[in-house]
Amino acid sequence: MTEPRRWYHRFAVRGVLWREYLDFGLTNVPFYLRPVMIFFWTIFFFFLAAPARRAILSNLRVIMPGSDPVLNLGRAWLTLYNFAWTISDAADHKLAKTQFAYEVEGAEFLEALAASSGAILLTAHMGNYDLGAAVFAQRFQREIRMVRAPEADAETARHLDESLERAGAGAVKVAYNTDRMALPLELLNAIRAGEIVSIQGDRAIAHVSQRAARLFGEEVMLPDGPFMLAFVAQAPIYPLFIVRTQFHRYKIIAREPIHCRRDGRDRGSVIEDAMHAWSRTLESVIARHWSQWFSLVPIFPAR
Amino acid sequence: MVFVSPDFSRAMKEEGSDLGYAFALPRLVARLAGRRVRRAEFSRWEAYGFGILVFGISCVFAARLILPFVRPGIWQALFLFFLPPAMWVAYLLLYFINARIVAVLRRLGFYSAPTNNPFQHFVIMSLTTMLALLFLQDASTWLKSLGALWLALLFCNLLAIVILKLRHEP
Repeated sequence: MTEPRRWYHRFAVRGVLWREYLDFGLTNVPFYLRPVMIFFWTIFFFFLAAPARRAILSNLRVIMPGSDPVLNLGRAWLTLYNFAWTISDAADHKLAKTQFAYEVEGAEFLEALAASSGAILLTAHMGNYDLGAAVFAQRFQREIRMVRAPEADAETARHLDESLERAGAGAVKVAYNTDRMALPLELLNAIRAGEIVSIQGDRAIAHVSQRAARLFGEEVMLPDGPFMLAFVAQAPIYPLFIVRTQFHRYKIIAREPIHCRRDGRDRGSVIEDAMHAWSRTLESVIARHWSQWFSLVPIFPAR
Repeated sequence: MVFVSPDFSRAMKEEGSDLGYAFALPRLVARLAGRRVRRAEFSRWEAYGFGILVFGISCVFAARLILPFVRPGIWQALFLFFLPPAMWVAYLLLYFINARIVAVLRRLGFYSAPTNNPFQHFVIMSLTTMLALLFLQDASTWLKSLGALWLALLFCNLLAIVILKLRHEP
């Protein structure tokens, strides 16, 4: 039996109220007053979202060993500020079809991904992954099946699903990464049918298959599902990130594909090698764009 | 299955290198300088610079109005510290009231834009222009200059709109 929803759940940090308020803001606040709006809301959430702030601080301690704890508070604020901008831009694209300017790093890999018949787009909770998926799907006229960690709030999840499907003009389909057995089969069938499956590979949640990997010298648990999928489907994995560079400007970072080829070795070592390549890629991108790594739950062992 | 895709990265690069301004004045200046420019909200100078100017004018107005009634020293410092967030809350109220007005206008069929932004923009520009006119009557030179700066920018932008229309440019 589920616990009845209480009225104040809407006001929780992950409650739907803030998403609805964001939609109101974007349809009512002229673009030149949005920096002011986002500045003050970031201050508000910096104090309200204490667990997220603590998670960012714990990540920063690992990414920048020996960094000043006071300066890290400023860095945590900056990370939340960038997070506010990215969710705001994604909602802006959905509601007003606002245009954004893009530059591409690793164009050849992006072209290869667009032309591929069945591939895995491996990304992280970094920059504007929602906007990236929507723009990619529209530009390439490709369907993307986006796998996400389930939202804590059911209403927020519904709101996000609708937003993503609306922003991607129906080309982005959301699937939740839960413990249900059918999902891997669905994803495998989608890849075999030539679709692109987008998965966030920087954080493993409970009940999801995971394996130990090293990130910034620390042992972390990363999801191994994307690599198993790549091994079974014999499909390439394309690491892809979309980071905010300036106001309404983004950079798409595509990296060399990772392959999980059947080459006579056992499955475990193929997957381990692929995960090693992924964690090196992830590490290099996070090191450069630490203020846009929105891993708002702790992933490193507590210190 | 074969997918034919447009040259995404080239299209992206072209868009990224393109200049985009929302206001007519910078668009006209860029065109006169021979740059390829389009109407888009790409400029951080417009977003941050213009936003801070609009928000700053309302903060200055509130400070000028209330500060003489606040006891000097720590109270004035505290007042000035809390003024910007208080002004932000006042803006939230303004957006809300305007949204209600737009809802009524929509029901009556007098407003059909997809978002309320054009109406909000009009109200905020009108209010800021009123404050700038009040600044012109102030005894303080720097407030007069601030008011004059706003009115000069407004005039130049309106002029740029007319010129761009006459040149049939977006």
